[in-house]
Amino acid sequence: MHKRQLGENGPVSQPPVPAVVVRDLHVRFGDVEAVSGVDLSAHSGQATALLGRNGAGKSTTMKVLAGVVPPTAGDVTVAGHDAATDALGVKRVVGYCPDVGGLVPRATPWEHLQLSARLRRMDVWEERGRDLLERFELGDVAHRVVGGFSHGMSRRLSVVLAALHEPSVLLLDEPFDGVDPLGVEATLEVVADARARGACVLLSTHLRDLALEACGTAIVLRGGNRVAAMAAADLTGEAYRALLD
Amino acid sequence: MPSSTDPSTDRSTDGWSQALQDTRHLVAFRARTVRRPRAAVAGVVVVLLFTAAFALGPTTLDVAAIGSPALERAVDNLRGNLGAAFVVFLLLAISAAMGSGGGRELMSRSESAIHPISPVTEHLGALVLAPLNLGWLVQLWGLLAVTALVTSSDRLLGAHLVVLAWVLAATAVGQAVGWAVEGVRRTPHGVVVVRFVSGAVVVALAGLHLAGVLIPLVRSLPTTWLAETMQTPRWPVAVLVLLAVAVAAVLLGARPAGWALGQPAREELRVQSGVHEARHVPEPRWGSPDRALLRRLDRGSVWRSVGMRRGLLVLGLGPGLIALVAGLQWSSVMLLPGLTASGAALLFGVNAWCLDGKGMVWRETLPVSDADVFDVRALVVAECMAAVSGITIVLALLRNGLPPLVTGVTVATCWVVVLVQVLAIVMTWSMRSPYAVDLSSPRATPAPHGAMAGYAGKLSLVTTLTGMFFTGVTALPWAWAPPLLALPFLVWSILKLRRARRRWLTPAERARVVLTVAAV
Repeated sequence: MHKRQLGENGPVSQPPVPAVVVRDLHVRFGDVEAVSGVDLSAHSGQATALLGRNGAGKSTTMKVLAGVVPPTAGDVTVAGHDAATDALGVKRVVGYCPDVGGLVPRATPWEHLQLSARLRRMDVWEERGRDLLERFELGDVAHRVVGGFSHGMSRRLSVVLAALHEPSVLLLDEPFDGVDPLGVEATLEVVADARARGACVLLSTHLRDLALEACGTAIVLRGGNRVAAMAAADLTGEAYRALLD
Repeated sequence: MPSSTDPSTDRSTDGWSQALQDTRHLVAFRARTVRRPRAAVAGVVVVLLFTAAFALGPTTLDVAAIGSPALERAVDNLRGNLGAAFVVFLLLAISAAMGSGGGRELMSRSESAIHPISPVTEHLGALVLAPLNLGWLVQLWGLLAVTALVTSSDRLLGAHLVVLAWVLAATAVGQAVGWAVEGVRRTPHGVVVVRFVSGAVVVALAGLHLAGVLIPLVRSLPTTWLAETMQTPRWPVAVLVLLAVAVAAVLLGARPAGWALGQPAREELRVQSGVHEARHVPEPRWGSPDRALLRRLDRGSVWRSVGMRRGLLVLGLGPGLIALVAGLQWSSVMLLPGLTASGAALLFGVNAWCLDGKGMVWRETLPVSDADVFDVRALVVAECMAAVSGITIVLALLRNGLPPLVTGVTVATCWVVVLVQVLAIVMTWSMRSPYAVDLSSPRATPAPHGAMAGYAGKLSLVTTLTGMFFTGVTALPWAWAPPLLALPFLVWSILKLRRARRRWLTPAERARVVLTVAAV
């Protein structure tokens, strides 16, 4: 069986319609403009890295794509659903790992999985849930309240929750933050699996090396704007640094 | 190098001096982070005006000139029970400190973890925050008002100074006892010990009351001497004694504070690492399974929190036991459901979305109707309020038996009205002023302390006025009158609740709440 290399966007030919389309996205929180005119597109079967410094607008863009924050202006389409008018539709097709926390403090991992699966009408999910928990080495704490979890454990569980329902758009915001090497490896496998089944993956991170390992395309944001979009292989350290300054 | 939790560093004057400075810095930090400073200043002014009104207002009442024997008897009764009122204040100070896990915190545990904050500073911070408690203020106002009523004008200043000195001393003693209890609670079998001793104290007090010896016992306490001395030229002696007690309690209280805070919070840690085996997806008889699952998650978030569980149990049993043992009349019972429901709402309902903490962002990505999320959260808040206030009514029923028809209908109607009122108010606040808080510690509150004091005041005022209105309604001879008179209250509250719900259904407003609560 051919195993696809990580970072290789592979033989999937570029489809005519991208899974994620963002045009002139603006997001304002009071007087602060967190995102000011971002344009990007991402295709099914591909993994796209979203890079940039703190405050570049990566996480806010991800929240808009996940249906959590409505766009102030601009067009955002996720798997055919308009994020401004059909947030529920967006939530059904997206799997989202938020950048911070993302877990209900007094619920167990299994209860998180159960709720997520039930609300997405998954009849058979337990086996996949167990498998994912084992892959992320959370099998023995499946019924323990997450309030006592370490940061790394919480991040790993957030990735499991995002991947459980095999979403057509997988959004991972800083999934490697504070995660040990085994967790990083498991996350990279989740990304590769998602691409292999034709899902669109958007991965936001500060870690360029891991982004290049996981993704074929890279988009760099700065000050709420997109400043570059290129093949990940072309994003050398010097080029990345030049784009950040 | 001594650690910040090393009690030995606190023995020196330097330790206290540093702790006082640190407390000042923390208070200033909290004051700077107040969201609505004008409202905070207005709140302080209102409290001072109320204090002055209660301290001076009753002096304008000339009981002798009115010539009412009933009024004279009532004033004599108040004079005779002033010492007992002092004891009640002390019990309140102790229970408030115990209920808040030793004492309120100037800075949350997660925020303060990176700072070298000593147990002495924590102790002083808890003392500073003690007055930001409606029960504390109401008791203070009550003591000042009764003192003003029963004291001649030439002795009033001295008597009020004695009251203030007592309030200081009782608060400091209560804080010291609170830390000591928290220290015991954090020992290996401490939770069981504290529960057993608390239960035994309650049973003993109930037994003494039923045996008719509680009141004579309370009257034989030194507080009676205090109440008598404050109205004589010897009042400075009482002030000096009380100030000495207050200073000693503040100094000594640092010891149990250091002991308690130096131990692991076993109950919290046990709850935080608690194991809950998987359960099947609920199949409710009515309503959708989605809502049932959301309800289960929300209920779990309430009952798996040490602070909320403890608070709900105390609110459920405390007022009910008073009604059971003291045999309160239905007119008094009418006020209790509103107050207990308000207390339950103050545990988390005033910032209802904080139950999810940082998980709020994940919750928001779930494909479920926004209306369902709001309805389920409101239902869980209502359940908690109905449960604690319901216990109070049931225990009152056990003591008083079935009330007359009109009274029974009025009590039931008043109960429903205050539940809907409080629910509408707290869901509105939850939408208008969400806060990011970590409720894993019983010392944490769902909103900043100043806001909590304001919330408590508003809720108590509204529910007490409603209770008083329905107490008046019991005088009517018609059983259909209370439900009819409740309609305007219910319509008003339901409209308010619907406004809060509409606000939640607005994507931009919901996003603001989600991002604020999750602190992202």
